[in-house]
Amino acid sequence: MNAIEILFWLLSALAIISAMMVLLSKNPVHSVLWLIAVFFAISGHYILLNAQFLAIVNIIVYAGAIMVLFLFVIMLMNLNKESEPKRNFWRILIGIISGGSLLMILVSLIRQATEINNKNALMESGNIGLIKTLGKLLFSDYVVPFEISSVLFLSAMVGAVVIGKKE
Amino acid sequence: MNAIILSALGGIVMMFTGIFTQNKIVIKNIAIITLLLLLIGNLLHFYGIYMLHVDVKDMLQFNNFGLFFNTIAFTSTLIYFLLSGTDITKVGINVAEYFALIFFVLCGVSILTSFHNLLMLFLGIEILSIPLYILTGADKKNLKSNEAALKYFLMGSFSTGILLMGIALLYGASGNFSIESVPSTTSKVAEMANSSILTPLGLLFVFVALLFKVSAAPFHFWVPDVYDGAPSVFTSFMATIAKAVGFIAFIFLFESRIAELGPSSRIIIPFVIILTLLIGNITAVFQQSVKRMLAYSSIAQAGFMLFVLYSNNDISSEGILLYSVAYSFATIGIFAILIKMKDYTFEGYNGLAKKEPLIAAANTIFLLSLAGIPLTAGFFAKYYMLLSAIKANGQNALWLVIVAVLFAAVSVYYYFRVIQAMYFKEGNPEIATTNTSFKVILLALAAIIIFIGLFPTVVLNFLYF
Amino acid sequence: MFSLEGITNFIHEWLNSHLSAIFALLAEFVLVGVAAIGLFAFLGLVLVWMERKVAAVMQLRLGPNRLGPKGIFQTSADTLKLIMKEALTPDNADKLLFNLAPFVVIIVAMLILAPISFAKNFQIWDINIGVLYVTAISSLSVIGVLMAGWSSGNKYSLLGAMRSGAQIVSYELSAGLSILTIIVLTGSLKISDIVASQENGWWIFKGHIPAIIAFVIFIIASTAETNRAPFDLAEAESELTAGFHTEYGGMKFALFFLAEYINIFIVCAIGATLFLGGWMPFHIGHWVAFNHIMDYIPSSFWFFGKTGFLIFLIMWFRWTFPRLRIDQLLNLEWKYLLPISMFNLLLMSVMAIMGWYF
Repeated sequence: MNAIEILFWLLSALAIISAMMVLLSKNPVHSVLWLIAVFFAISGHYILLNAQFLAIVNIIVYAGAIMVLFLFVIMLMNLNKESEPKRNFWRILIGIISGGSLLMILVSLIRQATEINNKNALMESGNIGLIKTLGKLLFSDYVVPFEISSVLFLSAMVGAVVIGKKE
Repeated sequence: MNAIILSALGGIVMMFTGIFTQNKIVIKNIAIITLLLLLIGNLLHFYGIYMLHVDVKDMLQFNNFGLFFNTIAFTSTLIYFLLSGTDITKVGINVAEYFALIFFVLCGVSILTSFHNLLMLFLGIEILSIPLYILTGADKKNLKSNEAALKYFLMGSFSTGILLMGIALLYGASGNFSIESVPSTTSKVAEMANSSILTPLGLLFVFVALLFKVSAAPFHFWVPDVYDGAPSVFTSFMATIAKAVGFIAFIFLFESRIAELGPSSRIIIPFVIILTLLIGNITAVFQQSVKRMLAYSSIAQAGFMLFVLYSNNDISSEGILLYSVAYSFATIGIFAILIKMKDYTFEGYNGLAKKEPLIAAANTIFLLSLAGIPLTAGFFAKYYMLLSAIKANGQNALWLVIVAVLFAAVSVYYYFRVIQAMYFKEGNPEIATTNTSFKVILLALAAIIIFIGLFPTVVLNFLYF
Repeated sequence: MFSLEGITNFIHEWLNSHLSAIFALLAEFVLVGVAAIGLFAFLGLVLVWMERKVAAVMQLRLGPNRLGPKGIFQTSADTLKLIMKEALTPDNADKLLFNLAPFVVIIVAMLILAPISFAKNFQIWDINIGVLYVTAISSLSVIGVLMAGWSSGNKYSLLGAMRSGAQIVSYELSAGLSILTIIVLTGSLKISDIVASQENGWWIFKGHIPAIIAFVIFIIASTAETNRAPFDLAEAESELTAGFHTEYGGMKFALFFLAEYINIFIVCAIGATLFLGGWMPFHIGHWVAFNHIMDYIPSSFWFFGKTGFLIFLIMWFRWTFPRLRIDQLLNLEWKYLLPISMFNLLLMSVMAIMGWYF
């Protein structure tokens, strides 16, 4: 077991535990903070895969911007344990059963998948995640989606203005 | 490409219109002119005239089918602007932005009619959806509108998440985002990929996400509240153009790959069709509000349109175009009248025929078309869909067709309730004053529906120019 | 010639010759950690003293002058006082987050040190996206601030944290764009490459007007990002008592205080690296003799000199400009700085394509 493997297991454990805590935390603020921990763990995985750019963008966009806005809203709403609605036992049971069935199917299917079985990820090598490679791909093969996504952002921005503007 | 570029530009033009003028009529007219240009640009594409020569790297593929659907969508929007444009300007103060958002939706439509790559599918669906979330909540002072927008947004985000999960799995299976299945070369790797479980799983996820977008059961729960809560003008747009294009996306994605969904697709698709028809039709029967009834009826209509997945042949592709025309035109017409009404319940329509005979007549034709009565466009639309099922699966499809016809008969009940209220009940319906041009356009629309009902091939011949 | 490179190499070789590879690595980790904490303590003591002295000069006062020559030990005494104080946790607070927040803030500050090049070949981690890494991590300090503000269970703290969040999230954009303006010229995000590209002149001189505009925007944005006056709305004492750290006392308060100064140091270090050549000595084109003389000054002196100058600039702002209102602050960013920096980036890209720079 070398250092990379140790890191991999540590990060995986961190990611899974944090993801569980997102769901199990009673306090929404704690959930969001755990979610940030998940993003960190995933960024760590990206760095192990030598995709530093992806790791950093993950942190900038998710942990740095989106989650901060989440925190903003949740903190200002002042949600806490008391204001959480009571959960119906049967509803929880049904949720667990249906979610669990889906999980079981997915796990059993993915265990059979030929692409994944007995394959190792490229650790600390390969230049696919480097910013140079990504940039070149983005402006050659994927230039059409890249440009068209600007329409998406423009429409979202117009929408934000429509919603936010005082009447 | 013309349509994508022009519709995005149209959105930007409308955004800037809002800076230079606050005059609602001017804004509306600019929107209509821009839309006409968009329509012309799209038609020019048929004749091979392009604005820009873009190397799309196989991300997009333009064919007559997609371009023809674009034409349908833009024409419907044009009719929609002409009929309900004034009502759009009454929703709130951000008039220019509403039109801009509608143009962005059209951009999403034109992407979804030409995508050849899962990335473009995702972008198209998002460009289509995000403006719709906003338009749903456009009536900011109305609590129902806010609730609808939030509901739509949350549900829509979930379905987008499912779509992305599916795309990720498909990418994992094939290593690229192309919508075509992996070419089975002689190499062992490709063989393994084809037999893999990831492809059907990914396709299933994408399938579910698209079912959500076209409001098929059992993913229809958002529809009634959203369609009911949204400002009526925007419901009209959402229920027609934005919905029909979902089926086009379905065709593009699944026409060659439906078998890859696995043997269970033989069960899943008929099941979804019957469930959609059942829930849509039966629940529509019990509605008291015409607007809510139309929401459920739109679920029911989606059930018919889903036949395109079941039969998946040439007739069904033609049928879906015909269906889009018939359904969009009729629904836009009904909504244009509904918006003018003060009372959205069935009682609100009591005695409309006495007060406004022309409008009542037009409304009757639209409703007949939705119900699929012969001599209207809706009849041939349904006919084509059912015919395609028989053509595809012969006797095996017969039971499905019979069930569909039975449900069509159920639908006649609630459509005729409106007609009955208009003609056979006494009352004094409150309807906003309408000018002559509104009535003329409405009657012209009704005439078009009857014309298509008489000569459906006229529309379809466009495909083969 | 005195050089830090020699020291690090010596330590590295010595450790590797006496220990196995993995223990040598661990020992280096420990050394780096100790060095970082030492640097923190040193910076905290010096910068606080410097701030007070600068303030004194600006206001024609003497400033601290009792303890040690020119009052240099004043901050050490203050620190001692803070350490002695009891660490209180308010009843209303979310205990865990309340105690965690100062550490989050300080750890984030520590993480940013990794790619900074303090002297020639003296760098902890030369990651190939160094500058982006700094932008990413520095945006995280807001999480610590929000945690502190919310967990205190005090309205002033919450409001301060909210303001700080809004401020950091918005000013990050123009700071990022002005950094990108230089990246367009260097063609690399690696700090060592950026410094190396300034061997024959610093970017602020070579990049013409756009580089200067970018520099100005960067300084404004980083002042805002570090919550310094005139953008210190997060702790505007006349409105919010002390903003997000109202409820903190003793050492926990000191950590916030320290983090503020560390952050100033870091943004100034980044500014110095991008615009003023990092540790690169001042070179003028073909003046070989002049350049040689400049090379005799150790690279670490250059780096700390430039950083110190920028820090002085930021301290100068504090006593020059009045505090903005929150809406003015956001207007400044979204309506002025952001459009200007976008346009500036465009201009710089054109310049880079056409080769209109030295």
